[in-house]
Amino acid sequence: MIEFFEKYFPNVIYQGWTGDGGWLPAIGETIYMTFWSALFGGILGLIFGIGLVLTDSNGILRNKTAFNFFDKIVSFFRAIPFIILLAFIAPVTQKIVGTQIGTTAALVPLSLGVFPFYARQVQVALESVDNGIVEAAQSLGATYTDIVFDVYLKEARSELVRVTTVTLISLIGLTAMAGAIGAGGLGNMAIAYGYNRFANDTTTVATLLVLIFVLVVQVTGDFLAHVLNHKKK
Amino acid sequence: MSENIIELDNINVTFQQKDRKIEAVKNVSLHIKRGDIYGVVGYSGAGKSTLVRVVNLLQVPTAGKVKVNGDVFYSNEAGKETIIDNSKLREKRRKIGMIFQRFNLLSEQTALENVEFALKHSNLKEREINEKALNLLKLVGLENRAKSYPAQLSGGEQQRVAIARALANDPEILISDEATSALDPKNTIQILNLLKDLNTRLGLTVILITHEMDAVKRVAKHVAVMEQGQIIEKGTLHEIFTQPKKKLTKEFVGGSLEAIAALKTYHLAKLNENEKIVQLIFTGNLISEPITIKLYKEFNVEANIIYSNIEVLGATPVGTLFVIIKGAPEERKNAVVFLEEKGIVVHNVEEGELSND
Repeated sequence: MIEFFEKYFPNVIYQGWTGDGGWLPAIGETIYMTFWSALFGGILGLIFGIGLVLTDSNGILRNKTAFNFFDKIVSFFRAIPFIILLAFIAPVTQKIVGTQIGTTAALVPLSLGVFPFYARQVQVALESVDNGIVEAAQSLGATYTDIVFDVYLKEARSELVRVTTVTLISLIGLTAMAGAIGAGGLGNMAIAYGYNRFANDTTTVATLLVLIFVLVVQVTGDFLAHVLNHKKK
Repeated sequence: MSENIIELDNINVTFQQKDRKIEAVKNVSLHIKRGDIYGVVGYSGAGKSTLVRVVNLLQVPTAGKVKVNGDVFYSNEAGKETIIDNSKLREKRRKIGMIFQRFNLLSEQTALENVEFALKHSNLKEREINEKALNLLKLVGLENRAKSYPAQLSGGEQQRVAIARALANDPEILISDEATSALDPKNTIQILNLLKDLNTRLGLTVILITHEMDAVKRVAKHVAVMEQGQIIEKGTLHEIFTQPKKKLTKEFVGGSLEAIAALKTYHLAKLNENEKIVQLIFTGNLISEPITIKLYKEFNVEANIIYSNIEVLGATPVGTLFVIIKGAPEERKNAVVFLEEKGIVVHNVEEGELSND
């Protein structure tokens, strides 16, 4: 077994489990970046997505100015290619985390890169809630908070899980790019230690690990979306 | 009790669409008495749903005055607009139940949770909320489906959950917006009977929006007919049915219009000088009187029945009869007087009505 790996994956073994350039830190960094930027970007995206739906012309808080505010910000950040965003907001990153490079520094562009994408997805998910249900809730004297939490978020929860899955997967893709600012992770492993050193076996294993990540997210997401859906049974 | 629970005065609802103005409701006034079942009929797009949404301000009008149960919800008269405060409106809305064509239940919550949702802001404790919600489900006959999700229930069952939810805060008004339009005839009758029962037992005032005249015939006490944002005719169910004035009303009332359509195929040219077509409408026990025989014996007028129909309005049977009466003009006139004295509505069918439009 070990001989087999030594023969076909010499570079993979050379990287080692721990230490600089090791597999475990790379895996850890990818998880770290995905988790925290999903959290920050997710909260921001959720707020903007809800804001878009509520202030829309059919929304319960229709407000053209507020809608335009949400809409323009989302469109703006959505329009910037991520690799450029990394560089573009470097000064902001410096202000927030005190450095422009490294895994933690990558969280700022990752969060900002993923939130507009998520906001649009959330917007679509929430718009799938029948206006009639919102109206019925209003007729029952529901407050705005009731309508956001009990109607929009709860009714669309299965859709939300679905779009969260899609967003997480594209976020894993973005973390790979974050390697460009020295953020490490599996993407960095595949490019810096694999591709740049002509170590194809390293690239292959890094890719496989990313695929496993994606698969786990996808399967979990599909399962949750199914369990949480009571619309058609 | 006869005071108005709902007073809509000179209501206008205008939607601004780009450079087009859409007048959904035009200067409509409607007063509804406590304990009434008021049917509002019209084709889709007539503005009935918009009008009724004004009652709980789901639709804020452009002008007019909305007064519900003594509280002024909205008034915009002489350019001064006042709207009830938002939190107060929410409280008042809980006293106005509403049910919809597509039920609009929370699909990710069980039947019981749907009813409990309505009680979220009541002063009851969690246990009491649960108890009350269960009782409401019992009231609509669904206590054994409490744990079911809406998708697991039939249309009729979903609408009953919606009714239980609408009744959760002990409302005094129930608005039914095409609530039976998506149901099959059997469920429609069940729901209508339930509404009628709630009206009798709880004194609930019901507004019934529908395009189905049958629903109105079954339960309504008063009827308003809407067309192009206006109420074109209103009155008691009996008035609207026996003496419809507007063409649309006649269309809705059916019966006579069908008869007229049938009569068109009749060769009117064949009518002799001494013949005339009349429509007779009679109510209740008059139905059992042998009128045609009396006409012949006492007035020497022959009555040839060409169309007849009996309908039940609320609980009273109403009969419609199209007859060709034959006799000298003087005799015919006496016969008509006799019929009218009997309480029968006599409507001369003019040849104009029978010609094609």
